[in-house]
Parts: sequence; structure tokens; C-alpha cells
Amino acid sequence: MKTPINSQLEIAAIWHVVVLVAAFALTFTSGLARADETCSSPYLARIDGQEEFVYVWTLGVEGMGDGADKLVTVDVKPGSPTYGKVVSSESVEGRNEAHHGGFTDDRRQLWLAGLESSRIFIFDVHTDPAKPKLTKTIDNFAETTGGAIGPHGAYALPGRVLIPCLSNAKDKGGRTGLVEYGNDANYIATHWLPTKDDPRDAADAKFADGYGYDARVLPRKNALLTSSFTGWNNYTMDFGKLTADPEAMKHFGSTMVMWDFHTRQPKKVFQVPGAPLEIRWAWGDKHNYAFTATALTSKLWLVYQDDRGEWQAKEVAPIGEAKGGVLPVDISISADDKTLFVDCFGDGKCRVFDVSDPQKPKQIYEKQIGKQVNMVSQSWDGRRLYFTSSLLARWDKQGADNEQFLRGYAWDGKELKPAFDLDFTALKLGRPHHMLFGSTKIGANRATVASRD
Amino acid sequence: MSLSRIALFTLACGIAIVCLTSAAELPRNSDYDYDPPTPGSYSLPVVKPAADGALLDSNNKAINLRDLTRGRITILSFIYTRCAAPKACPYATNVLGQLHSLSAQDMVLAKNMRLVSISFDPEYDTPQRLATYSENVREQGSGCEWRFVTSKSRAELAPILAAYDQAVNKRQNPADPQGPLYHTLRVFLIDRDGRIRNIYSSGTLDPRLVVADVKTLLLEEARVSKQ
Repeated sequence: MKTPINSQLEIAAIWHVVVLVAAFALTFTSGLARADETCSSPYLARIDGQEEFVYVWTLGVEGMGDGADKLVTVDVKPGSPTYGKVVSSESVEGRNEAHHGGFTDDRRQLWLAGLESSRIFIFDVHTDPAKPKLTKTIDNFAETTGGAIGPHGAYALPGRVLIPCLSNAKDKGGRTGLVEYGNDANYIATHWLPTKDDPRDAADAKFADGYGYDARVLPRKNALLTSSFTGWNNYTMDFGKLTADPEAMKHFGSTMVMWDFHTRQPKKVFQVPGAPLEIRWAWGDKHNYAFTATALTSKLWLVYQDDRGEWQAKEVAPIGEAKGGVLPVDISISADDKTLFVDCFGDGKCRVFDVSDPQKPKQIYEKQIGKQVNMVSQSWDGRRLYFTSSLLARWDKQGADNEQFLRGYAWDGKELKPAFDLDFTALKLGRPHHMLFGSTKIGANRATVASRD
Repeated sequence: MSLSRIALFTLACGIAIVCLTSAAELPRNSDYDYDPPTPGSYSLPVVKPAADGALLDSNNKAINLRDLTRGRITILSFIYTRCAAPKACPYATNVLGQLHSLSAQDMVLAKNMRLVSISFDPEYDTPQRLATYSENVREQGSGCEWRFVTSKSRAELAPILAAYDQAVNKRQNPADPQGPLYHTLRVFLIDRDGRIRNIYSSGTLDPRLVVADVKTLLLEEARVSKQ
């Protein structure tokens, strides 16, 4: 028996409100399932207002400053006396081919990966978001994970992070896996990408190349989608030498894989030639699709659920001239799913697409960001975008074209207007790569309630 | 409307949903728009050992958390009863309520599963309050063991929260309509040997997945015992 509620009036009121609150609960559920500033994990607490800091994972350059990789923190609070300035910089040991990173789901830790060394650097961004501190380093990644190397980033899952990798310790080619660590940096599991020889019941496994790059989840569909790039042998090679080596150029990913997220089992392999890189799931409650861009063939691709509920992949638009060669690298979707920003390393432009009809994207704008451009990060309200320049240490342009910057812009729906410009070479910081947002107003303490007072 | 009244109304929603679903199959809905996996068709790697700690049960009796995370497959949920955020503690308790109702119809679950709700609000959630709360959210009689526990002091709670990576903070506005505490949602699947095998949060706390995971662990035990 449940405890009776004394007042009949209260019972009537409760049951009246039950319906209203249940409806609200369903709405709120959807709201929580979609989180973070347009490109991060849906399991993260989201900064839906003004971001206060941009964290820039920066590659060290020999002879520049201390020469080490570092996490650079830039103040982006409007009106702050240090707006658009570096407010802290914390170096890690050596140069590791600093690439991507990500927060734990509670947004208290920032995990930053080194593609070449396979080391992972864990920063506390909660104690003082303006001055992140290195607290732990994982330096036995290959041994612990059973041979996965080239950790590409960190993607928050409940209580753990998912680390998609690019390579393997055995031959340093493109065969690789997805690795899971707990938030305490305890290793949990490695899930190898399917291959023709190890299809693991995935449909269309005859296309499977085993390559990896990005990994993103659509929770309400229990869908995990991965993309593919290239192995350690290629991404550590000089870019000119690489493109002149026909054999090396054969070793790029040409697949995406749809997984059952809960079971971590591959379900279907898609043929997506030309190295499909970043994955961006749409946010709308009924938008069952994701975009990616293929770096080598300069195309936008759509992975979507068809009328029968089957996942499909199709090319939906060229990026730049039909001849290709603009080398699209990073993409960012707006929170309303209407706009897609596409950074092109080859010509240094950001191209903006109207993706209101995801099957028929249309370019509506383009802006020259620099001589080279790689990453783009967007605020949740879509009004602010930040760009960095570096792709890989040995792939960046040479001479005067080797600009290294963090540039902030305002977006009004029609054009990008410069807000600030930081020259990372002049500041002797290095090559800026991945950007993530910080705030003093987010993230709960682990044991504040228990330890305070 | 007072905060406690909002929490009561939200809780009432949970009760209503439990009652509606206890005898039926758990439904697919827009938040969990997929078919759950077949139990035993996948594996659940060990995340880490489930930590111990000193607690009080709803009879004000001292108990070790270790005793609630060994011997059965345990679903452990961190909550506080004043929470009025619909997708947080009320939702987690609602899911545990659904599991409890299912176990009343499933002898295997009734014998092998345990539910544990741990409060991280020890000053408000006294053993007496938890006893009342438990009577509001669970059907009496049959069904698996469902324990409601709190702690004697904040000092005793702190290492438990740290070990389970449970973030909790006081809201700046103690009269916040969602409750006075800000926290992450954490629900743990713990095997009979006291090892964490899954962690659920918003977006993954689908009762169908939890049932599939519990049955997967039971099948794993059966396989191991045959070897």
C-alpha cells in the first residue's frame, strides 16, 4: 500500500498536475538529451549562454617559446579587460602532435590527446576555469588498449570517455579501434573497427577497411556513427612527400560505420570514399541524420534514416569547385539544424551551407579566414564562431602561408564579422588546433555538499 | 507552489507512470526510439570495483555500502528526495520503480536483483524521511529487494560521492524550482561480485536497457558456472 495523501483536494490537484508535469517531463527529457554547444557530446552539460573561455589545444613548435604542446586559455567574455587575450597557458611534456580533446560528462576534466605520442593529458578545468591545470597523464595507451594508437579526441559518455583512434601499434596503418576509459582514467575496453576479415556481423562488411577518426552518438536512436581517416604512417609524414607517394595515398579511409551504441556492435558499413572526417548529428527531435565532409573528394555526405528506418549514406553536395581540392576539414552545425559551416584547409575559406533541407544543401556564403584554416567552433546561439589554423605539424602550409591564429567572428545569419585576432606565432605559442569552451557557471563539484560547511 | 510541493507533484508523476507500466511491457518512446538488445548478445566490460562506505538504512541502522553491492545484481541510484527536476532523481526513482514492478512478475529478477537508492542530502533525507519516501515510490509485498539509505554525516558521505564520481553542488538559489542541489544523474549496474558494469545517465537510463543488462549478467553467470 502506498501512503495515502490526506487531503482529497490535494489528491485531485496532484492528479490534475500529473498530466501537466508528465507532459513537461517528456519535453524536458528531450531537452536534456540534446546538449552542448552544437558539436560536443550530448551527454555534456551545455553552455547555452555566453562562453567565457576558449581552450585551445596547441602544438608546440621547435624553437618557439618553450617548444612544448600546451593548453592555451583565451578570455572571450564581452567587456572583459582581457577579452580576446591569452589569460593562461599550461604546457605539457614535449610535442605529441596535439590534436583533439573533450570534456568528461560532468565537464570538470578536459582530456587532450597527442596523435603521435599516443599520450593523453587530463586537465582540471573546474577548480579554476580560467587556469586549467594538468592533473594526470596517460602514457601507456598502446600497451593498455591492446595496441590502439593515435587517440583522436575524447567524447563524453556517462561516467566515461570514448576515444576514437586512428592507428595501431602493429603496423601503424589505418586499422584501429574505439577505446573507453572511465572518468577516473581507468581503462575499460577497446572495440576494433570491423574489417572484411573480422566483420562481426555488420552489414556490407565487404567495404569495411577498419579505419577510424570521429565517433558520435545519437542517444534517442541508440546510434553510434564512426568515420575514417588514415594511420600513423601517413599523418606523421611530410604532406608533400605523402601526396607524391601513390602507395601511401591508397591508405585513406573510405568508410563510415553505424554501431549499436549500447552493445558497441557494428551494424552496417557505408562506402564513403575520400576520408570522411568530422560527424555532426542534427539536434532536432525528429532529425535522424548526420553530416560529414570528405577531405580528399570535397563532398558533403548525409547519413540518414530512410522511410523504412534503415540507415543510409549519400553524397549531397560538392564543397567548392566541382574539381575539388579545397580539403574540407572541420564542420559545425547550428543548433537549429539550418546552417552548416565548413572549413576548407586548402584555400583557407569557411563555406556556409543552408542545410534546412538536408538532402539538398546549398552554399549561401563564404569567407576567407586565412591562408589556411582548420577548426571551427560555434556558440550554442550561433552568434559567435572561432577559427584556428593548424591541421597537422607536417601538413601545415610553409613560409608566408603558414599563418597560425585563433580568430573570433560574429555571425548575424548573413556574414562573418571579425571580433578579435590572436597571432599564435607572434605570441610564441605554437600551432593552435582544437577549441573547446569553458565557463565558471557550469559543472558541479564532486563532493561539495559533503565537504563544504 | 513550494519546493517540497513541486517535488511531491513530480514524485506523484513517477508513481503514476510506475502504475501504468508495471504490468505491461516497457514501451518504446520518442526518447528511446529503438529496440533493446537481446540479453546475452553482448558483453559488459568491468568499469571498476564498487566502493564501500558507511551508511544508515531507513530504519536508522548502520550498514556498509559493500553489503548492498555484493551477492545480487544491484542497480544503485544516487538521489535526493527534494529533487524536482523531472529528468533527474524523480525519473531515476521512477525507473527503479518500473524495475521493481517488473521483478514482482519475474521470479528470476526478484531473487537476483537489488535496487539501492542512496541520498546525497543527509541533513534533509533522514532515515525517517527515506522510510516515508520509500513507501510512496514502491509497491509493497513482492518484488526484489529495494533499499533506501542515507548517511550519518557529510564527512561519511564525501568519500562515497568521490568514489562513484557523483558530482553534487548547492544551487545559488536554494528555492530553485528544480531543487536546492545541482548534480549529475548517476545510476550504476553492479554485478554480484561488486564490480561496476555500466553507468547510466540522462539519455541512457532506458529501463529496457537496464533489464537487458541485468539479464546479460545473469546469462554470463550461467556460462561461467558451466565452465
